[in-house]
Amino acid sequence: MALVELRGLSKHYGSLAAVDNISLKVAHGLLVCLLGPSGCGKTTTLRLIAGFVEPSGGQIHVGDRIVSSPERTLPPEQRNMSMIFQSYALWPHMTVAENVAYGLTLRKIDRETIAKKLSAILSTTKLQAFADRYPGELSGGQQQRVALARALIVEPETLLLDEPLSNLDANLREEMRFEVRRLHDTYRYTTVYVTHDQSEAMTTADLIAVMNGGKIEQAGSPEEIYDRPRSEFVARFIGSSNVVKGKNLDQSRISFAGAALRCDGATLVAGGETAISIRQHDIRLLSTAPQSEENVVPAVVVRQVFMGGTRDYMVEAKDGTQLRVLAPAEQNIETGAPVWLHLPPERCRALMG
Amino acid sequence: MAALTQAAAGHAPARPARLDLSRPIIFTFAAILCVLIVLPLSWLFYYGFVDRAGNFTLGNFRQLVSDRAFVDPLITTFILATTASIVCCAVAAPIGWLVARTDMPVRGFVRLLVTASFVTPPFLGAIAWELLAAPNSGLLNRAFRAVTGAPQDEYLFNIYSFPGLIFVISCYTFPYVFVLVANSLDRIPGDLEDASSILGGKTWTTARRITIPLALPALLAGALVAFLQSMTLFGSPAILALPAGFHTMTTKIWSLFQYPPKPELAAAASLPLLVLTVVLLRAEHMVLGRRGYSVLGGKGAEPRLVRLKFLRWPALAVCLFVLLNPVFLPYGALLNATFSKVATQIVTPQNFTFHNIEFVFFELSATKLALKNTFILGAATATIGTLIALVISYVTARKAVTGHRALGFLATAPVAIPGIVLGVGLFLSYTRPPFILYGTLWILLIAFVTISLPVAYQQLQSAIRAVHSDLEDASRILGATRLQALSHITAPLLRTSVIATWCFVFVGVMRELSAAIMLFTSETKVISVLIFDLNESGDLAAISVLGLFMLIVTFATVMLANRVPGFGGGIRLRNH
Repeated sequence: MALVELRGLSKHYGSLAAVDNISLKVAHGLLVCLLGPSGCGKTTTLRLIAGFVEPSGGQIHVGDRIVSSPERTLPPEQRNMSMIFQSYALWPHMTVAENVAYGLTLRKIDRETIAKKLSAILSTTKLQAFADRYPGELSGGQQQRVALARALIVEPETLLLDEPLSNLDANLREEMRFEVRRLHDTYRYTTVYVTHDQSEAMTTADLIAVMNGGKIEQAGSPEEIYDRPRSEFVARFIGSSNVVKGKNLDQSRISFAGAALRCDGATLVAGGETAISIRQHDIRLLSTAPQSEENVVPAVVVRQVFMGGTRDYMVEAKDGTQLRVLAPAEQNIETGAPVWLHLPPERCRALMG
Repeated sequence: MAALTQAAAGHAPARPARLDLSRPIIFTFAAILCVLIVLPLSWLFYYGFVDRAGNFTLGNFRQLVSDRAFVDPLITTFILATTASIVCCAVAAPIGWLVARTDMPVRGFVRLLVTASFVTPPFLGAIAWELLAAPNSGLLNRAFRAVTGAPQDEYLFNIYSFPGLIFVISCYTFPYVFVLVANSLDRIPGDLEDASSILGGKTWTTARRITIPLALPALLAGALVAFLQSMTLFGSPAILALPAGFHTMTTKIWSLFQYPPKPELAAAASLPLLVLTVVLLRAEHMVLGRRGYSVLGGKGAEPRLVRLKFLRWPALAVCLFVLLNPVFLPYGALLNATFSKVATQIVTPQNFTFHNIEFVFFELSATKLALKNTFILGAATATIGTLIALVISYVTARKAVTGHRALGFLATAPVAIPGIVLGVGLFLSYTRPPFILYGTLWILLIAFVTISLPVAYQQLQSAIRAVHSDLEDASRILGATRLQALSHITAPLLRTSVIATWCFVFVGVMRELSAAIMLFTSETKVISVLIFDLNESGDLAAISVLGLFMLIVTFATVMLANRVPGFGGGIRLRNH
């Protein structure tokens, strides 16, 4: 178990900066998620940590060692890490047992210990019955578990996962999500997990680093990222928020579509313009005008769809801004009807940039 | 001082800095490829532009375009290649369509027969057709006279003629067009045709408006390849055109090395051939490069076969009739000559003999030497060629070093060098100091390695691409060094492809004639050259024995390579 720290890490391919001066500190035994859309640099970051890619600038520290810097990069085999690949990368010419035991045989461990550890990890991952099969004879979920077992048997200091669940079907993915977390809690290695799926990140991570365009937009606990997004990108990417813009009225209010909105998160500079975000399910939909006018915006229903548990509304404010609102399923307001939106001040987050 | 600060900063207590092998690797292999390719071509250009005294001149080219002795072969070659290319397309396209897209019976068998003509060395086919259609002794002409009672000097076919040469060349060139067309038709997803049907297109309308246009680029590319093959072929014109009293470019170049040798003219005559080949290959690439649209989109449905109804069996009959010419008749003639006391007489119980086989393998002193040379060269070329191709394709597929593109380009470049041109270039390079290799097996080895490099490189590169780099990375992150990862993971996964590539290179060496004919000496004859020599001395029975032996080894090797599991690639042999 080790602290993993990225200091001003960069990777350039020609003029393109795949990873652009990022810094991140992951304490012992934490599970951090690098979350972002494809092409945001998260996989490059992971491969930098693994040592497959050499940095153009900055450093990577593991424990008290510098493992990567532009001058010198420790080869992957000397880092005491494990990695689970998006493609699983199971060796087709080896059986499940051979695949899983590979890391131990490289470490020249005696046969009995290998056999003991092998049977232990195979039973943890429920693979005993498949020990002599070849990867081509397994289902996707079983292959995934072989990849997990192969990575965990060497008891790495650091475990890296590159979109490990993206090849599984929806049900299995949910199940494996908790499996990854359970194994992490059992062994407590430092884990870096790359994914583009925000619910995957929410359910597994201690720490989420949202990446965009080679940079870390925001790093924090899942609650922090969800409740207090700092940028429009994070607000939209995590749980798809509504983002509205308006002129600052004073230190805590902006004007939007003829109404004044009080918001939270930052002290506003008078005269400037600020974007605020609010979750779709945090907006309350009222079919009659409320008594208090604080944080109330009049609007018209553009369309609505029954979703089973909820009803998904698209409404349009006076200035033409469209907002999505998730309302209770029984609240059925027809298209074209006027509505009043209540945006609770504590749910309106002022965004930076 | 700087080192101290770094250590203090907590650098891993590590081994000495990792040795960076990429530079030595790229330089070594770039040097090897330069010696193989750039050296002979440089001498070729040098000789083309100097006179006897070594002064710069354009006189060689002037003579080339003004002397009838050179202009005629040029025109002949052009007409020959154009006609052969048209004939190949006319024959191969319908057969390709019948095999790939209709419910004609025994389509697999027809494909197999086309492969058989593909694998047959063209010079052997030409000799077999001498047995069949030489004006006096040819089996077909004898049969004609026997049936019609025509006088002794009348004949039906004369293979020693311009049409005869076009016919024989087409016999062994049409498979190239066939493979391109049939593969392209195989790859057109069935739902493209279904989409036309659902919009109301009838079977034939769909074939005409959708299927055929989609296959047209492949046909055009096939035409270019056929042109190229016919233009650069040496064996068939040497066997058929020389007795008929005319030259093609390749035989003309060859004759310039007969006494008295005129290497400057040979070099000058080789250059247009080289340039044309490069241009044609570029054109093929462009034509095929636009084909991408035919395989757009997700999972394709199985193609639906066109129902020929009552035409099914007639269609098969036409295919088999066509395949009489490259396969049944020539193979029959070779078999017949092998067991007959007189090569051009039909075998009967009275003249059946094993003497020819005995003669070739036990009495003819040249056989042993040629066999030995061929097997030494075949094994050495296959081993060295596969090794070079393996390293280069690994480097390019994994983009392991900067400059990998240049290595890949050099490895495929020999495709654009016709065998005879390479022969001339190597002859010029290695008959003078500092490298005098002429008269040794080394010069043949260099020629064969160069010729086989593109095929080996193509095969191995696609094999390495199929081994995802994650598989190696997974091994390294678990603690394997680069070399351990290669030996535990990559090597076992590539083994089958490497064996198959080795086999194909071996077969390719055995059938190579056009470069070997420029470079052999009496001590370094190989089988193909021996067959060519025996043809000059008219020993057709011995040729048949050797030819059949060669075919058996070829088929056995190709079958072995195809049996190796995990090797799906199509064969691509060069015919020169």
